[in-house]
Amino acid sequence: MKKHWKSLFVVTLVLVFALTSLAAFSAQTVREETVIYTGISWAPPNNWNPLYHNPQTGTVGLMYDPLFHFNPHTGEWIPFLAAEEGEWIEDDVFYVKLREEAKWHDGVALTANDVVFTYQIANEVNLFYSSIWNYLGDVVAISETEVEFHFDRPNYQQWQTYLYAQPIVPEHIFSEIPKGDLANITNEDAIGSGPYTIGEAREDRMIWERVDDWWGNDVHGQPGPRYVEDVLVFGNNIALGMLLQRELDVSNNFLPGTPAIVATPEYAVTTYFDEAPYHLSGNTGLLYLNTRKPGLDDPVFRRALAFAVNSEEIINRTYQGAALPACPSGLFGAWAEYRSEEAVQEHGFNFDPGYAKQILDEAGYVDSNDDGWRNSPEGEDLSFTLQVPAGWSDWENIISIAAENFRAIGVNAEANFVDQTIYNDQMWGGEFDIVFNDYATQISGTPYTYFEAVAYHGIDSDEVTQGNFGRYDNQELFDLISDFNMVPADSDDAYEIAAEIQAIIMQDMPVIPVMLNPTYSQALETYWTNWPSADNPNGIAVGWGGLWQMGGTQTLLNLEPVQ
Amino acid sequence: MGKYFSKKFIIYLITFFVAVTINWIAPRLIPGDPVRTMLATYVGPAEGRAILEQELRITFGLEGSLIQQYLTFWGRLLRGDLGRSITMYPRRVIDIVRNNIIYDIVILFPAVTLSWIVGNKFGAMAGDNKKTDNIVMPFIYALISSPYFWFAIIVVYVFSFNLGWFPSAQAYGGGLSPGLNMTFIRSFLRHWFLPFFTLFLITLGQWAIGMRNMIIYEVKANYANYMRSSGAPDKLVREYAFRNGILPQVTGFAIQLGQVVAGAILVQEVFNYPGLGRLMLEAVQRQDFFLLQGSFLALILMVLLANFLVDIIYMFIDPRIKASYTEEG
Amino acid sequence: MANTESILNTNQKVSTRLKRLFIKFKKNENLYFIVTNPRIIFGITLFLAVCLFALLGPAFTDYAIDDWAGIGAPAAVAAPSIDNPFGLTILGYDVYTRTVYGLRATIMVGFIGSILASTIGIIIGLVAGFKGGMIDEFLMGLTNVFLTFPQLAILIVVAGFLPYRGIVHMAILVGLVIWPWTARAVRSQTLSLKNEEHVNLSRISSNSTIRILFEDIAANMFSYIFMVFIQQFLGTIMATVGLEFLGLGPTRGVSLGLVMRNALANGALYLGYWWWAILPGIFILFLLFSLYFINTGLDKIFNPELREM
Repeated sequence: MKKHWKSLFVVTLVLVFALTSLAAFSAQTVREETVIYTGISWAPPNNWNPLYHNPQTGTVGLMYDPLFHFNPHTGEWIPFLAAEEGEWIEDDVFYVKLREEAKWHDGVALTANDVVFTYQIANEVNLFYSSIWNYLGDVVAISETEVEFHFDRPNYQQWQTYLYAQPIVPEHIFSEIPKGDLANITNEDAIGSGPYTIGEAREDRMIWERVDDWWGNDVHGQPGPRYVEDVLVFGNNIALGMLLQRELDVSNNFLPGTPAIVATPEYAVTTYFDEAPYHLSGNTGLLYLNTRKPGLDDPVFRRALAFAVNSEEIINRTYQGAALPACPSGLFGAWAEYRSEEAVQEHGFNFDPGYAKQILDEAGYVDSNDDGWRNSPEGEDLSFTLQVPAGWSDWENIISIAAENFRAIGVNAEANFVDQTIYNDQMWGGEFDIVFNDYATQISGTPYTYFEAVAYHGIDSDEVTQGNFGRYDNQELFDLISDFNMVPADSDDAYEIAAEIQAIIMQDMPVIPVMLNPTYSQALETYWTNWPSADNPNGIAVGWGGLWQMGGTQTLLNLEPVQ
Repeated sequence: MGKYFSKKFIIYLITFFVAVTINWIAPRLIPGDPVRTMLATYVGPAEGRAILEQELRITFGLEGSLIQQYLTFWGRLLRGDLGRSITMYPRRVIDIVRNNIIYDIVILFPAVTLSWIVGNKFGAMAGDNKKTDNIVMPFIYALISSPYFWFAIIVVYVFSFNLGWFPSAQAYGGGLSPGLNMTFIRSFLRHWFLPFFTLFLITLGQWAIGMRNMIIYEVKANYANYMRSSGAPDKLVREYAFRNGILPQVTGFAIQLGQVVAGAILVQEVFNYPGLGRLMLEAVQRQDFFLLQGSFLALILMVLLANFLVDIIYMFIDPRIKASYTEEG
Repeated sequence: MANTESILNTNQKVSTRLKRLFIKFKKNENLYFIVTNPRIIFGITLFLAVCLFALLGPAFTDYAIDDWAGIGAPAAVAAPSIDNPFGLTILGYDVYTRTVYGLRATIMVGFIGSILASTIGIIIGLVAGFKGGMIDEFLMGLTNVFLTFPQLAILIVVAGFLPYRGIVHMAILVGLVIWPWTARAVRSQTLSLKNEEHVNLSRISSNSTIRILFEDIAANMFSYIFMVFIQQFLGTIMATVGLEFLGLGPTRGVSLGLVMRNALANGALYLGYWWWAILPGIFILFLLFSLYFINTGLDKIFNPELREM
């Protein structure tokens, strides 16, 4: 009797817990109408506020639209809210015409006033893009659909990034919110303008639901999937398991063994390219050299190190070939049109340890005390530590190989893995010898962002977080980069200044560009087809923050259900 | 009874107090800066970062002397305010914890209960019969000698990768919505089984070994000898031995809970199954110290609560305590 | 000639001495049972084999931990072969090499951690059991508090905030957390020993408490302490390997938990690279398995009730 009572108690408890946990949720999606992503979100969804600096990925690009979409590989601009390409009607006035069809999800028309509001609000309240008002003078609506941006100092290059990165927010909603709260609200009942809206946010996934009467259906086409499900996985290996068990549609995770997976027909995994490097590139991985450390303070020494790094070996061993080596200029994708072949020819570097040794010998970096390692010309010991966050296995491998490469030319170097916070602190605080990093080099509409990542001018503060972690000091270069910002894109001046900048960077080598980090996208055609590929370059099937408007949303617009 | 309980209760109170204090001190020894880590994921125009950083520092600013901070911490805690997560800002830690704890319960509760029952049965069998002992115990030793996660890896390799019977990760399949429909329940159970099964197996050994030793002692004890000599059937002797052996196993249950939770954390990691353990790890990796504090406290509370329940059960089944209760009452 | 005699003579002496020794040895039941108990023999042999492997293993590999052992990039990963008996990882590292060095670290951590934990536990247990009263209440309260904590959770919290973690750091950290078991066990033994005659005698002859504790009590539960030590060794290894697996192990050097974590993180299971994920763990299994055997064997000897089993 007692026994029965006990087991009954257990069963009841289990049932109660199970039911309460289930009852908390309700909505229902259909697998055939859903496209499932992994590797996008790394934390539960909780913020859809486009005025917050880091909302749920998709908030911008799926739900709120920027004026343009931009393909960083072809350099193509796709007017999204804008009706046509924007233009500089005067040296300091940028003109944008909006689409007349554009509407918010509640049916209110999306007009020039919304654009004005979006920018003006950043002038009144501290928002992540408020700094644009350092050089923006005024934003004027000249009609329902026409906007003019008047600049005090036209930062032509930087402005380009705003065109695709800055979402337009609805004035009629956001003007109701107290100004102090604008950056803090979570915006669960978002009224956007994009093809999708919040379907459901759960602890382990974000579900975007298609807006069926979206204004863009006739203009941009209706996206195939009714639901976009962004499933949180806590490790790339989990995504790999799900991919092989066909529980997802596209994985944006770094998956070791990509060549083996793609080569196995029964897995039927597709990538952008059928063979190495498999993926499009997303940013440039750099070795930042601390120019305030003895040895590394000498451009000749830094240059020698560059000749010692075997990028090909790094890529083969770490990524099994699924990545590309970086050009010595560091530029790729849409930046590549600014690449100065001349500067690369003259000042570039390649893997040539013999030449590296020769440079060092000539500059007096020889082993003067016979301990097996090179000393400075003054006879001091030189030794360096290369750092990356512990647990980032691919990066760990990269610097291990780089350290091997340095040791091969007689430079005492060692790889070291530390916790990410310490890594960040030391990198930003300038307390390191050499770090591998790509935080600041994400592909963009202008090489200006890359130049800033390499040689950001604000190196006098205790913490440098925006690039130039090695605190390379060269006022001439800083001025040139600033000048570059002030000349219109695609102008002769721009090319000329960019070439000059590259020449200086490659001569002085504050960083060593090692490889291009891929934008991973491994897709299945179980439910959806027409994924972007080299033969079908209609976008990038990657949903990382900032990439929806760079091809992610275009991918969804092109997806077709498998019959 | 009163004394027994009050003593236990004081232990629980102190444990809780120590836990909260450790919880409060640990983040203050933090080498990194969580705000900067938070901004590492920042995407957008460069100058915006500085402005944001300032805003966040105010939001998370820790004001006043250390003692003041400590008291505020307690004050908030008693009001159920565990602060807000840094990485999932502005969500409240308590909400996140609540959403995750369900998964701990659905895995832990059945696994532990079942393993305790089955483990005790095995142990009793082994303690009673030399042949069974020689066959069963090496397996049991192998079971408890395997690192939890390693065992989980083998389970995944065999049942998921090779046989393909069960999925290897997550709490339920993609494209599904939790709800009371057959598709979801089937998916949930399929995903639930392997983590549950693994946890069941790795906790089994502890109980079995404990019970085996108990039975051996009990069977040789004076009362058993007396019973046998007075002609009681073997079965009855065994039953008595089992009943006496089970008592320490109940207290053992409470003591081993910490161990079980450790097993659960490792198993959750291998199966990517949600729960407090996963939450803690995520929080550590991202230096989200409010979340770390919250999940750690929730875990401790869970263990204390289970201990408390075991105490109550123990009171009912141990005649000595019951007796003292009636005497005092 | 005289030499032969003397040799014979000594031989005889030696043999009688041996005989006496054997009789003495037979009298010393415990030692006798240890040597004749198959479980203990098996356990010790396996334990020594694993230790020997850790000690000599590096001699059989040409690689250092971080040496690239792949044949030709990008085809790095390889199943076990004659050249690489445990196969290669996806990054082209030799699994055998990593296992051997990891095992060394693990055994070292086990020793340091368990010595520390045993020391703390023995002292607390002895003092609590011997002194009794408030001191006992306090120390056992403390012990119970620590016992109630999920140890891995504490380790996660503390390890997560340590800036640098070396192998020794980890061992100390684990040792500081897992001692309560020893404390409880030693206390209960002390309680039963402290009223024995020789202890009372010692007390009457007004020996110092410390001397009584160590000479009369601790010395008499050496066998017990040894078993508890084995258990602490098991506990330390389980805890460290678990921490390593969670990515909270040493930030430098190689460890078994880390090797397996890397395997899992790199999808070794799904890609079918079982040798990488599973082989390193077998040595932990052997190590702990052997210790359990020794422990149950000893248990049998020190608790005669179990001897008939």
